[in-house]
Amino acid sequence: MSDNWIKVTALDEIPDDDVIGVSVEGRQIALYKYEGEVFATDNVCTHGQALLSDGFLEDGEIECPLHQGRFCIKSGKAMCDPLTEDVRTYDTRVDGEEVLLLIG
Amino acid sequence: MSNETHIPMRPVWDQPDTSRIPFKVYTDEQTHQKELEKLFYQNHWCYVGLEAEIPEHGDFKRTVIGERSVIMVRGADGEINVVENVCAHRGMRFCRKKHGNAKEFVCPYHQWNYDLKGNLQGVPFRRGVKQDGQVKGGMPKDFKPADHGLTQLRVAQRGGVVFATFDQEAESFEDFVGPEMLHYFDRMFNGRKLKLLGYNKQRIPGNWKLMMENIKDPYHPGLLHTWFVTFGLWRADNRSELKMDKHHRHAAMISTRGEGGKNAQTTGVSSFKEEMKLHDPRFLDVEVEPWWNGPTAVMMTLFPSVILQQQVNSVSTRHIQPNGHDSFDFVWTHFGYEDDTEEMTERRLRQANLFGPAGFVSADDGEVIEFSQEGFEQKPFHRSLAELGGREIGDTDHMVSETLIRGMYEYWRKQMED
Repeated sequence: MSDNWIKVTALDEIPDDDVIGVSVEGRQIALYKYEGEVFATDNVCTHGQALLSDGFLEDGEIECPLHQGRFCIKSGKAMCDPLTEDVRTYDTRVDGEEVLLLIG
Repeated sequence: MSNETHIPMRPVWDQPDTSRIPFKVYTDEQTHQKELEKLFYQNHWCYVGLEAEIPEHGDFKRTVIGERSVIMVRGADGEINVVENVCAHRGMRFCRKKHGNAKEFVCPYHQWNYDLKGNLQGVPFRRGVKQDGQVKGGMPKDFKPADHGLTQLRVAQRGGVVFATFDQEAESFEDFVGPEMLHYFDRMFNGRKLKLLGYNKQRIPGNWKLMMENIKDPYHPGLLHTWFVTFGLWRADNRSELKMDKHHRHAAMISTRGEGGKNAQTTGVSSFKEEMKLHDPRFLDVEVEPWWNGPTAVMMTLFPSVILQQQVNSVSTRHIQPNGHDSFDFVWTHFGYEDDTEEMTERRLRQANLFGPAGFVSADDGEVIEFSQEGFEQKPFHRSLAELGGREIGDTDHMVSETLIRGMYEYWRKQMED
């Protein structure tokens, strides 16, 4: 499978230590800026019908607004109940002012 | 007989003992509410179900204690929890399924979710919504999910049967049942795993206590249940005993057929009406089981919520679920034991036809309870008689006594009149 880096947004569109939602090739993606680095996960929570980009980013974990489940934004790992399933993560790269995402 | 016809505000007992029971105990809604509080929600352990009904992690069954909806659920750790089916948020009875399997409980109204122990896990938009770089709304900062779980009941399990109580101060389940009744409880639930066979459910338009009384009344079976007599399952000369716990709230009617449980077809015991024969005699294909240790029938009342039945090879629990002073649901759970042979399971299932809402001998119990309630409602100033076998209360070695009913009302008065 060849690398498929896609430009998804300008770097300054993501506020520091916060999260935004974007749509990439029909997928809903949450983009995080945390301690100067950019991370990406699926935006829809693996538990309820909610967007993680409506949630709260703290200490490298995104808390879902619906039921307060928390995922590690780097690994996608489900950190607490009621989550039972990890969330998918994506590799990101910053090229100048652009954020690129690797869609496998 | 009293000519007094004014209707008292509450039950009036016209003598110190309980051999005459005021109709008002069955017809008064205020009394009913007080009973729910004092007999179902405080001080008492109530039946919720069998462990065999929820074998897998996450399996649940919705049932009731008194008139409160509760859920019996096997948690992720395999432990059995009982929680109240009322959302901590807006009070909804959120669980609508009778049986199921769940990873969590979610109230559909606002999606508050709880783990299987009843702890609140998530509150949608607890921290508000993000709008234009600001966070708006949400729960107050001092909101603590730990303070807003479902009501978690105390649970007791013995021999595969699950009981629960809302009362954190109630005595232990074993003390509640008492050694006299525990003996018969353990006889039927002796550690063998139970096997669920099925349910019967009926709504009986009468006061719930009448069902307790029905199983504390050995006077009626040979008279009302002519089917029993006709086919030789009940004989006046059966050896029998009536026993109670020290509070006289629980009781057991224990009887042993002289023939050791063998049916008329195999032993030649003549039925009352020789010419009447069952089309399918297998209903009475009784096989003596070692665990009986003699008695062929033991009918136990564990006050206030359940009847435990052994009638020859038919074993079941019968759960009393009141709904108002003049109606209750009666839920029969027929079971067997995991080490039963296929033939024994068949036999238990066939004999289960004797009981339940369409049973040969208990459809009539539902009817007489309905007709009793009709009599009470018509004449609420009056009282019934329970003087058979004397006016005192005590264990007996015969069946011609209403002592167990008097005992129950002695206990009832102590609970209700303080």
